[in-house]
Amino acid sequence: MHSIRFRIAHWLIAHRVVTGLVFIGLTVFFAAGLRHVELRTIFSDLLPREHPFVETYKAHPNFGNPLTITVMVKNNKGDIYNATTLDKVWRLTRDIDLAPGVDHDQILSIATEKARYAEATPSGVDMRPLMEDSVPKTPEQIAEFRRRVEMSANARSFLISGDETATLINATFIEARLDYGEVFDYVQGLVERERNAGHDVYMAGQPALTGWVYEYEAQMLTIFAVTLLALIVALVIYMQNVAGVLTPLIASIVCGIWGFGFVGWLNSPIEPLLMIVPLLLVARSFSHCVQFSERYYEIYAHLGDRRKSAEITTGVMMAPSILGIITDAAGIMLIAMAPIPAMERFALFCGFWAMMLIPTGVVLTPLLLSVLPNPRNIDRIIGHGAESGVHTRIKALLSRLSWLTHGRPARYTTAVLAVVFVASLATALQIKIGNPVEGSNLLWEDSEFNTAVAEINRHFPGVNTLEIILEAKDPESPQRTARQAETIATMQALQHAIEQGDAPPRATLSFADYLMEGNRLFSGGHPKWRPLDRDDFSVNAAASAIMLGSSAKAFSHVTDFEQQNATVSLWYKDNRQETVDTALANARAAVDAVGIDHDMFTVRLGTGTIALQQAMNDVVDAYHWRILAFLNLVILVVSWVAYRSLVASVVLLVPVNLSNLILAASMSAMGIGLDINSVMVAAIGVGVGIDYGIYLLSRICEEFDPNAPDFGHTIETALTTTGKAIMFTATIMLIGIAPWYFLSELKFLADMGLLLVLTMLINMVIALIVVPLLVWLIKPGFIARTDLIVGEGVDLSLFTEHGGVTHATPEHAHPDDADRSAVGPEDAGTVATPTT
Amino acid sequence: MRIKKYDFNYSRRVFLEKGLMGAAAAGVLAPLWPEIGRAADITKAYPDELLSIEAYTKGKVKPGDVITADNVDIVKDLLDPIAYQQVKTMGRRINIVETTRDVTKLFPYEYLEATLRNQGQGTIGADGNVWTKGGEPWIGGNPFPEPEDGLQAMANVTLSWGRHNFSMYAIKDWEISPGGDISYAYDFVWAELNTTARADGTIWNGKKDLLRYQSVWFTAPNDTKGSSFLNTWEYDQRKFPALLGYLPAFRRTREFPTNQRFEPLVPGITFFLSDAWSSGDPLLTWGNYKIVERKPMLGAVSNNWTGGRNENWERELHGGPKGQTFHETYMELCPECLVVEAEPTSYPRAPVGKKRVWIDVRNGMFVAYVTYDRRGEIWKSFEPGFSQYVDGDAVFLDNGHPAWSWNYVLCHDFQANRMTRFIQARECTGGYKSGYDDSDDVYNKYLTVQAINRLGAT
Repeated sequence: MHSIRFRIAHWLIAHRVVTGLVFIGLTVFFAAGLRHVELRTIFSDLLPREHPFVETYKAHPNFGNPLTITVMVKNNKGDIYNATTLDKVWRLTRDIDLAPGVDHDQILSIATEKARYAEATPSGVDMRPLMEDSVPKTPEQIAEFRRRVEMSANARSFLISGDETATLINATFIEARLDYGEVFDYVQGLVERERNAGHDVYMAGQPALTGWVYEYEAQMLTIFAVTLLALIVALVIYMQNVAGVLTPLIASIVCGIWGFGFVGWLNSPIEPLLMIVPLLLVARSFSHCVQFSERYYEIYAHLGDRRKSAEITTGVMMAPSILGIITDAAGIMLIAMAPIPAMERFALFCGFWAMMLIPTGVVLTPLLLSVLPNPRNIDRIIGHGAESGVHTRIKALLSRLSWLTHGRPARYTTAVLAVVFVASLATALQIKIGNPVEGSNLLWEDSEFNTAVAEINRHFPGVNTLEIILEAKDPESPQRTARQAETIATMQALQHAIEQGDAPPRATLSFADYLMEGNRLFSGGHPKWRPLDRDDFSVNAAASAIMLGSSAKAFSHVTDFEQQNATVSLWYKDNRQETVDTALANARAAVDAVGIDHDMFTVRLGTGTIALQQAMNDVVDAYHWRILAFLNLVILVVSWVAYRSLVASVVLLVPVNLSNLILAASMSAMGIGLDINSVMVAAIGVGVGIDYGIYLLSRICEEFDPNAPDFGHTIETALTTTGKAIMFTATIMLIGIAPWYFLSELKFLADMGLLLVLTMLINMVIALIVVPLLVWLIKPGFIARTDLIVGEGVDLSLFTEHGGVTHATPEHAHPDDADRSAVGPEDAGTVATPTT
Repeated sequence: MRIKKYDFNYSRRVFLEKGLMGAAAAGVLAPLWPEIGRAADITKAYPDELLSIEAYTKGKVKPGDVITADNVDIVKDLLDPIAYQQVKTMGRRINIVETTRDVTKLFPYEYLEATLRNQGQGTIGADGNVWTKGGEPWIGGNPFPEPEDGLQAMANVTLSWGRHNFSMYAIKDWEISPGGDISYAYDFVWAELNTTARADGTIWNGKKDLLRYQSVWFTAPNDTKGSSFLNTWEYDQRKFPALLGYLPAFRRTREFPTNQRFEPLVPGITFFLSDAWSSGDPLLTWGNYKIVERKPMLGAVSNNWTGGRNENWERELHGGPKGQTFHETYMELCPECLVVEAEPTSYPRAPVGKKRVWIDVRNGMFVAYVTYDRRGEIWKSFEPGFSQYVDGDAVFLDNGHPAWSWNYVLCHDFQANRMTRFIQARECTGGYKSGYDDSDDVYNKYLTVQAINRLGAT
């Protein structure tokens, strides 16, 4: 009774005003930080740091068209050579120039002056736009337009599909002026306007993807609100009294203010795609508070003194609550091991929030309970009233479950679990890394964006690119590295090697291609003039020729504005892992063949969607198991501290790891690969799952009587009491998470919701079966100890009239009290500490 | 000492009234051009508050002061919106000088003579072009010293860009990236020869159906050296100029679409052909001209020639991320400017929505120019600096008189935040020197297809 925990509890409750003022002060401080809170997806922060591909991407962000929106107009009833389709293209082209933040110099379609064809004239070259100043309307005008297209190799490759039914409009935006939401709304409006029975119009590109994500994030806030409401309704139904509802609500709101205010003060943007985890924390906060309240009312029923009850509850609950919360927070914080900036920020934000469940759950909750009026339904809350049908059924279910874990059935259960383990291991080992989706994994496969990407991929070289960068050693070289013969020859060698290799890309493009075309045109137009002489003079001449009268931005997809760095773009048919592996292997071989280091430049592999997808997969592959290993270590230490036994650590670690294995096997069986979602879910799942083990094991310690050891009875009692609480906790969290899977149009969030639901359920079932089973099989000595911080009881009789402290209110006195107090200080009136 | 007979807001009210009336003569206290014709002095036409920046700002800014981010808000209404942002946010500074009252310092000598001589002769014909009352092509000087509308105001700028019958500018150009680095640097020569609208009243070589020949050839760096362009302008301002480019390495000319006016000549440069002189396109290929306002402005119209301080007329730099984005510039209070707007009506694919030009009524030359995109957002500015070529004791003569010409240009693509800055130098790479003397068969030397081929070859 005089442990440090009870002394702290006594001090806190004795100084309720001071403690309350500290809470108010801290809440005001963090609330002031709320104005700096920013919910924003920073896409580059979703990429792993320090990966060579990501470093290449960040060094050359302009390659791979990250700021370009691509609109495809598809005529469903024929080719594009008709006035209606061309009119649509003209209108879209002109109207996209009105988009906010668009770079007026970088709009390209068959209707712009930049799409040209060339004809050799006696004195030189006549370069004219494919389309004149108006849309071709008459058959003669359309025929002339078609003739011009046929003379423009680039237009045929990159602006008009091979079957001539589709054409593209590309618009690039100025990063500093780009408001993704605004641009998305505007261009999507154009796309919808131009769609009709005869024409499909699709929009793709990174700004479009960002726009869709923002659009769904707005929807996400609604889901967040709905889910929060569902949690509150669940709370109201469960507690059915004001104090019982207000306490978790106030504690959770305070905790939320602290969490958001903290990142606000740090000026660290919150990643909206991960907002499901704060909701999980709200659910955790609710369940902690509910369990705390129940225990408080239980003690209050004995003592009839709100202040003393709050003090005792705090003392009793402190250790197990803190341990449980620490494992939750550890799971979240260890996610920061993955070197992904968004994850690091997330770990800081949610890890801090999770840790703040300690003061709000362990200190604020009893303070609130001690000041809020007592409910009238205390008896029902603490289970002394008549139990409802549901409670009876749950109890019966848990009783049956406990039957499986001891006595003769335990052998069969062990055998079944061994089979499950082996089968799960075998299946889990088959799991793939990554979840390639044509388009973006953030969205559903049949989403409008991913459909657009698929359609564009079907008609054009597409959007699955691998970029090999030729990086200038001196970015201010007066010779302009991209215009040097060796640079151009290296581009050509790379393209040649890759095109001749196995599984060649659909298309390749480099600055060299433009130079060769320029060389042909300015040399008279005959194809024999396409090859460039391999000297700087000739290459420079061709570069000057194609750039005369053009903005350097017109070539920004192949060389930067200053013509120092350049890229070789390779287009692949899809981004399935096999394709990615082959593409990277071929690219590596080609880079090895041409050599990495050259006099003026270095060849860097690579960037583009293919490379960045691989970078993400590499990180998942490397850190998935590493994070879990560290989490196991943390749990080992925590449980050793709690139970002073390594056997206890094993008893706790086996179920969470088995749960993880089953989760991985389920994913593998469902065709879901390991990705950054599953890394997070596994870590959070272990953190939460271990709670169940701790609660159950502690209850077993509580219930175990070394004088009359009956493991079967102990297990059954623990399962039917704490097991029920575990089921309640899991249910509360499922209510918080499950709706995301059904409501979210963001696949990322839905996937995470699904995986979290799976992991919670698996962890719950496995904890309820495996922990008691292991106790039964091992029969560890630590459960008989009475000095465990998580299993310490309190003799409430010391506080009753007989004990000389206070009176229990008659209406709350339990019929069993008399019997329990008669047992004596060691047993009577003790309050089991394990909570959920 | 002049007696202040008018309250401080008198000129503001006058400008407002003139704006409401539409056409109105320049000058607040008295019509401007009679004063110029009488004594070439504008003092009697404007009150103190328009002749002195000190009076205008109630003593807060005076000649010799420097406008910086700290005090630019005092003169915010006197700057175009991009110049204001440059000072406010990019570290630009502007030196303030006295207002020029002697208008002979705002013109080439012969051009002012022609303007005064031909006053009242200019008229807009039924075809929209500028003709003399006798139906002949314009005969020199500003055809409309007192413009009645936006079209007339822009005709003054368009018909004779450089205000010499022939000009050859040796230009040094630097392209500044958003990070403040030099992305590109070019030396090139710009030559323009008017066949009509000449200050000497003649028609050059009988070419009355043309307005001018104009060529550009690059002399440095080596990868661009020899690239050249030839523009031939019809007198009929409804027609697009023919544009030819020459590629020395291929020894071939390239014909550009005549309506391709919204592209830079070479990579890196921010301004389009359309932006040159605020009137880079034929007058009547733009439309909906209107005077939207009359107001005083700060304009770089004097003290900008650096010939006394720098042999090659180069300028000091400052501002931007690397301290090299802006030229050192000198501006004075221009008492009355017309604010003219126009739209690119003959360019169905123009990315520009409209241009706004501030024109100094003293010489009819623009002091600021801004384009807006089709959303109405500011896009680019093209800010010129002019001066009589006198700097201390140094004088550069043009036919016996102190020369007058432009000195620098700052062209800022405000949306992409790229800056083109160039100067008229004494000499650029290749040994070409700035000058205005057309006595040496300049046409055959610089302004024919053969000439640009030859210039490219050298």
